[in-house]
Order: sequence, then structure tokens, then C-alpha cells
Amino acid sequence: MLAIETKGLTKKYKSKTVVDGLNLTVDEGELFALLGVNGAGKTTTIRMLTCLAKPSGGECSVCGHNCVSDSAAVKELVGISPQDTAVAENLTVRENLSLMCGIYGFSPDKAKSRINEMIELFNIHDVANSRAKTLSGGWKRKLSIALALISEPKLLFLDEPTLGLDVIARRELWKVIRELKSRVTIVLTTHYMEEAESLADRIAVMISGHLAALGTLSELEQQTGESGLENVFVKITDNFGKGESK
Amino acid sequence: MNKISAFSGRNFKEIIRDPLSYLFCLGFPLIMLIVMTVINNGIEQSAKSAMEGLPPGAAAPETMTIFRIDNLAGGIAVFGLTFVMLFCTLTLAKDRSGAFLVRLYATPMHSGDFILGYTLPTFLLAVLQIIVTFAASFVVSLVVDIELNPLGLLLALLSLLPTAVMMIMFGLLFGTLFSDKAAPGLCSIVISLASFLGGVWFDAESLGGVMLKICEVLPFYHGVKAARLACALDFTDWTPHFLITLAYAAVVTIAAIITFNQKMRADLQ
Repeated sequence: MLAIETKGLTKKYKSKTVVDGLNLTVDEGELFALLGVNGAGKTTTIRMLTCLAKPSGGECSVCGHNCVSDSAAVKELVGISPQDTAVAENLTVRENLSLMCGIYGFSPDKAKSRINEMIELFNIHDVANSRAKTLSGGWKRKLSIALALISEPKLLFLDEPTLGLDVIARRELWKVIRELKSRVTIVLTTHYMEEAESLADRIAVMISGHLAALGTLSELEQQTGESGLENVFVKITDNFGKGESK
Repeated sequence: MNKISAFSGRNFKEIIRDPLSYLFCLGFPLIMLIVMTVINNGIEQSAKSAMEGLPPGAAAPETMTIFRIDNLAGGIAVFGLTFVMLFCTLTLAKDRSGAFLVRLYATPMHSGDFILGYTLPTFLLAVLQIIVTFAASFVVSLVVDIELNPLGLLLALLSLLPTAVMMIMFGLLFGTLFSDKAAPGLCSIVISLASFLGGVWFDAESLGGVMLKICEVLPFYHGVKAARLACALDFTDWTPHFLITLAYAAVVTIAAIITFNQKMRADLQ
């Protein structure tokens, strides 16, 4: 079953087209990386898929539910960890998780079990009773992803999850994301090529709102004749600029 | 209801865990209550001294009663409510600027859940603040030996509920429209206006003229008057003042709800 399907998905802000006729599919269980320079349209695409923005044209669906006409069902199926960590700063880690359980209407028993599960999965026992504002960047990112995951989503969006983290914190988070791969479909946006290279099953490159390339790393290497995702990405961007790539 | 109680609980904790909320919502009004009582005692002493120097049969000078505890209690309670508005504004404005609200927009929460989630805990805080202010006023009244009827204080609390709702809805409105940088400045203007033109620090009626007319146009004066009259168990002129605060509360509530819904729709475009 398809976790995501977009057909001619377009988003315009006044005269500026931010996403332009995007066609892509993501299979269930896949870890899909969305790459692109700043302003490529990655975050806007995620916003449309999480019902945070309405498409100007085309359509998008999550697990068969249309993101516009069936947004209530989509919201039950997706979890998002935004670029900003977006946690409740004066609440403890446990209270933040409890808040999300309340919002999704979990029973007290289920909430307790999910909270303990998240604390275990993200290995955040040491800071479970610390207020979010006292956490380091790495802990906050973990909490942010845990908040997105606690509702048992079918589809998890991670918008630049390791932005601003040091190497150790980033590697730790990669480990967590790898563990999540078997449980949930993940869409990841990142500026770190090694991150997408290490984690993603398939990679899409967006340039100026267009889908410039799509495939596994080896497929993209084959298409461009380059090795390594960084070289592939530069080549695709150059080719797109010259009008050689779609 | 689960969503609302979870989100309300979060907002309640966010506010009460900010040390500034104690300083502004409780500390500042209580300090003003004590300071103004001390000033009032000083004024009364001066008036007594002046009376002693007067020739027999001369009219006694009018003593100022605005800072007397039975008048002060209602005024300080309204003054305190303006800080509840400030914290309601700041909680919402910070959530907006820090993308926390965006995260919640992607959950099954609806606009009504957000509105109730922000307003219910601040309403509870407002009621608690009035209770603390009146309890402190009662203690002060015993110290300065001025009668303050507990039933009057209870009725004053009830008289202030529309003003509390209005202040909270002003908070929702400003938090929706302004950033966490701009909102505090705007709130400080409203706080100054409410205390000054509400007749908390001066007797608007004795000034009369344009000043009184301006006070009467705004809701704060009526909130203070309704509380003072209820406190004195004097209900002859109470009804119009109370009804005006009720009308203002309704108008600001409708404006805040419409604005929040429109802004949410715009954010999700």
C-alpha cells in the first residue's frame, strides 16, 4: 500500500510557485529522503502532506486519505517533528509526552505505557523528569521525535531532525531513526548528504519546487555517472540549472 | 474534552512555572495594596491634623477615600486581572513564534480546543488571583480597622467575572495578532490604561468632565465600580456597571474567537 501519493501537487504563494506539479509515491515502511537547497519546496511539501497547508493545485493523499477532503483521518495517521523542536519548554519530558497522549485521547493506562515505551526507545530516562527548556539540543530533538511518534502514526515526517547537532548527537539520532525504520514509514528532509546516504531507502531531489531526481542511491549514481550522494546532488543541481534534468 | 483538559493543563503549568507570573499576578498587586493603604493612613493623619487647626464651626476638609481598603480592594483586583491578560497573551504568542502551535495544528485539535485550552486555565488563574487579593484586603481591613464584609467580597468576586473574561479574551486577541516581542509592549499600554482610566488610582467622579466621560466609555471603570459597589453591598447603581462589563466581555470574546479562527485558517493556507 502507498503511504504517500501526490499527483501534480502544486503550491503557490501569490505569484510565487513553491511546489510545482510534484508527482511522487512513497511505499509503506520506506524511509524516504527529500533533499534540496533552501527554498526548494521540501518543507512546503511536508506542510501539505500533514494538512498544515492547502495545495493550490493537484492532490496528495496519505494511506489513501486525501489531505484536503479527509484531513481529520490524515491527522490521525501522521506525526511531525518540525524544523524547530517545538516542545513545551516549561513541562518536563514526561509531561510533554503525556500532553500528546491527552491530545490523541489515550486512556491513562495506554498513555502510561506509551510514555514508558518512548522513554525506553529514545533512551531518555536520565532527563525524563527534567524540564524541556533545560535540555541540550540533542535531547530536545529526541523529545521532538518522541512527541511525533507517541501517537503511533503510520507516517512520520522528520524535517531536518539533526540540524545544529554535534556529530555525536547526530549519530545517536541516526541510530534511533534506524530503529524506527521497521515500525513506521518515514519521510526525512535534510541538508546533510551523509545522513540521507546512511538512512534512506530512496531519495528525491527537489529544485525550485520541481522533482529533479528520484531513486535509490545506486540508481541516482547510475543516472548521473557520479559516486557518493554529495557529488550526485551537485550534478543534479547543475544539470537542472542548465535545463538538462527534469 | 480529553484534548481540552490536556492542553489546558499544559497552559496552566506553563504559566505557574514562570516565576514572573507570581511577581506580576500576585506580588505586584499585593505590594500596591499595602503601599496604597500606608499612603491612605498618611493622608488621614494629615487630614486629622488639619481639622485640629480649624476654627470652631469651620467645615472639615474632605478626606480622600480612594485608597481606603474598601475602595482599594476592587480596584486592585481589576489591576491584577490586567496581568492575567499579559500572561495569556505571552503564552499564545510564544507558542506561535516557537512553532509549538504548528505542531499542534497537525494533531486532531480543532480551533475550539485551542481557544478553551488557552482561556480555561487563565480563567482559573484570574479567579485565584481575585481570591488572594480579596483575602489580603480582608486581612488589611482588620489591621486598619475598616469594616470589609466577607459577603461583599464574595459578591465583588462574582461581579468581576465578566471583567476577568474580557481581560483573558484581550489576551487571546493580542496573542493571536502580535508576536511575543510586540505583545508585551501593547499589553503594558492596556495595563496602564486600565489602571488609570479604570479609576483605580484616582477618583474619576470627583474629577468629572471629559476625564469621567473617557472613563465611562471604557470598560475598566465599570469593572472597578461594580466590584466596589458589590463590596459595599450597595446595589442601587450596581446593575448598569455590571451590564456594561458583561457587554464588553461578550464583544471582546466574539472578536477574539473570530480573530483566532481567521488566523488559524490563514496559517493553514
